[in-house]
Amino acid sequence: MSATQQIEPNIDHYLAEYARVERELPGSDDSKRERQAELRRFSDAGFPSTREEDWKYTSLRPIEKRRFEISDEADTPSEKALAPFLPAGLDAFRIVIVDGHFSAVLSGLDGLPPGATVRSFAAYLNATDGASIKAREIDEEPGSLTAMNAAFFTDGAYIEMAAGTVVDKPIHVLSVASGARDERMTQVRHRYVMGENSQATVIEHFVGVGDNPYFTNAVTEAVMGRNSQLTRCRVQQESDKGYHVSSFFAQQRRDSRVFNHGFDLGGRLARIDTNARLVDQNSEVHLFGVYAPTGRQHIDNHTRIDHATEHSLSREFYKGVLADYGRGVFNGKIIIHRDAQKTDSAQACDALLLSDKAEVDAKPELEIYADDVTAAHGSTVGQLDEDAVFYLKSRGIGEEGARAILTYSFANSLVNKVGIPALVSYIEAALLAKLPGGQAYADLA
Amino acid sequence: MLSIKNLHAEVDGKPILRGINLDIPAGEIHAIMGPNGSGKSTLASVLAGREEYEVTQGSVTYKNHKLLELDPNERACEGVFLGFQYPVEIPGVSNLYLLRAAINARRKYHGEPEIAAIDFMKLVQEKIDYVGMSMDMVKRGVNEDFSGGEKKRNEIFQMLMLEPTLALLDETDSGLDIDALKVVADGINRLRSPERSTVLVTHYKRLLEYVVPDRVHVLYKGQIVRSGGPELADTLEAEGYANLETDETAATS
Repeated sequence: MSATQQIEPNIDHYLAEYARVERELPGSDDSKRERQAELRRFSDAGFPSTREEDWKYTSLRPIEKRRFEISDEADTPSEKALAPFLPAGLDAFRIVIVDGHFSAVLSGLDGLPPGATVRSFAAYLNATDGASIKAREIDEEPGSLTAMNAAFFTDGAYIEMAAGTVVDKPIHVLSVASGARDERMTQVRHRYVMGENSQATVIEHFVGVGDNPYFTNAVTEAVMGRNSQLTRCRVQQESDKGYHVSSFFAQQRRDSRVFNHGFDLGGRLARIDTNARLVDQNSEVHLFGVYAPTGRQHIDNHTRIDHATEHSLSREFYKGVLADYGRGVFNGKIIIHRDAQKTDSAQACDALLLSDKAEVDAKPELEIYADDVTAAHGSTVGQLDEDAVFYLKSRGIGEEGARAILTYSFANSLVNKVGIPALVSYIEAALLAKLPGGQAYADLA
Repeated sequence: MLSIKNLHAEVDGKPILRGINLDIPAGEIHAIMGPNGSGKSTLASVLAGREEYEVTQGSVTYKNHKLLELDPNERACEGVFLGFQYPVEIPGVSNLYLLRAAINARRKYHGEPEIAAIDFMKLVQEKIDYVGMSMDMVKRGVNEDFSGGEKKRNEIFQMLMLEPTLALLDETDSGLDIDALKVVADGINRLRSPERSTVLVTHYKRLLEYVVPDRVHVLYKGQIVRSGGPELADTLEAEGYANLETDETAATS
């Protein structure tokens, strides 16, 4: 039997699933036609396979062999189950999506300044004439899984900052997979529309609480107006039964700035694509990421920065912490197009292997078509410094504790860049909790 | 306090210590001198439990313990302290955090409760004055962006905080200007008491002008070839290590 034949029944399942839920999906009849076109794009291409260069190290077979269904309604978890995912002391606006459906009860959006819109994406689509399922300002959203998302997404966060609007508190966008029922999928789509001179910080948080396998497929669009600034902290804490795929697309106008921080701590398998297109002068993108596969987790980060025109800047720094049988992938593509003179770009990726069973493929990938640019890149894979381990032990700290403390030290500089103390502490504590012996030193965070 | 008998150790199959015999009674300061490569630092490292050295023969008794059977962290909890020749940097983990963790590890080991925050800070305030460090400095990451002299001051600060019963100082005096050297010497003298012992591994006699040792030992090719009082350091400075070959023959015969 050929691979294609094996896959087909699975694609049929998603065609049938779409037919089942189409009527309930948000948006106008026109937008349903857009969804149908996206569904065809997905069914024609199928799930990405390891034969594709971009998917060489990440097999989606565990997702393909299951038949995930859209949840018709949310199984809202108890307050107790959610409490560990609300960072202590975080003063934020909050929008909560459970199993792909907006939860008004769990959200808290009072006190937003004038000019700031934070609402359910579904509500926005239903209430807005001519609203499109995909942002028109974004050139393209390649990939069959983004097409799948465009066809199926049930809800998400729609954030719009009118020109000049500055929100001084972060907006916590919490997407929860209840895991209450077997083989459910949450297809969420967020859109952040940043008007001229606007500024906002979004904590895009994915968590899973239940015991059943589920699939999260998320897409986030960021439309960056002139001189706007978006800080996006993506915190991925899917359950160990969760399969997570997400894509981010930012299209940046003149003088705009994107600070994207990714923290991948959860999921059985996670694949994250982070894309920024600098289409106008003096725009900047900063991509920072920490990924920490432990146990048998597989975490794959692919990033792509397009410098499409002159005088733009990118900074990229990823760190991997891999323990047990953890498997990590980092691929950072930077394309400096022909007209992108005076591009200033720097990228580095470091990985720390804490076990001899852990494995990482980390690769910077530069394509430069302009001749007057600065582009630096570097990649390291190493282990903990045994001198430092001995130093800590000679002060009375046990073997595991010494290793946890030094691992914390390795990741700390990138976590700190988030700049929100409550979130920094939360992420550091979550990272320490994953490390053997780390729990005892959770107060480092 | 410390009794070393016929200690042999090697690294990667290469013998470095070749039969060390040394007794250090409680309350005494002993200086270990000798040329480069004689095994001075190896001795300090073996006593602190560094794993890359393999002990092939001999025994070490510390208080009532077979020292070599304890893990490095257990040795620390039993009161052994190693002052490093090259202290490591640990960005993002503050000096204070490390010290509190170290003190609490000891307390836990002895079945005692954790130190109260206020008592800890009082202790810090008292000890940083001794070594001329600021509160701002000790709140920074461990040795993060410290100069060579600041790192050594920090080792002495840690030693004063942890109050070891056996301090092993591995060339803590190397590469220091006179002010920092005085800080190091002052720290060692402060801890001098009938219950504590100190081993000074040093290259230079200079430190011994500020810390007068009870005994001086000369280590050469992995053996102690000569021992004497503080005056031995003066002899060594005058004569150098040139006569050690004959001493070695005397020691092994």
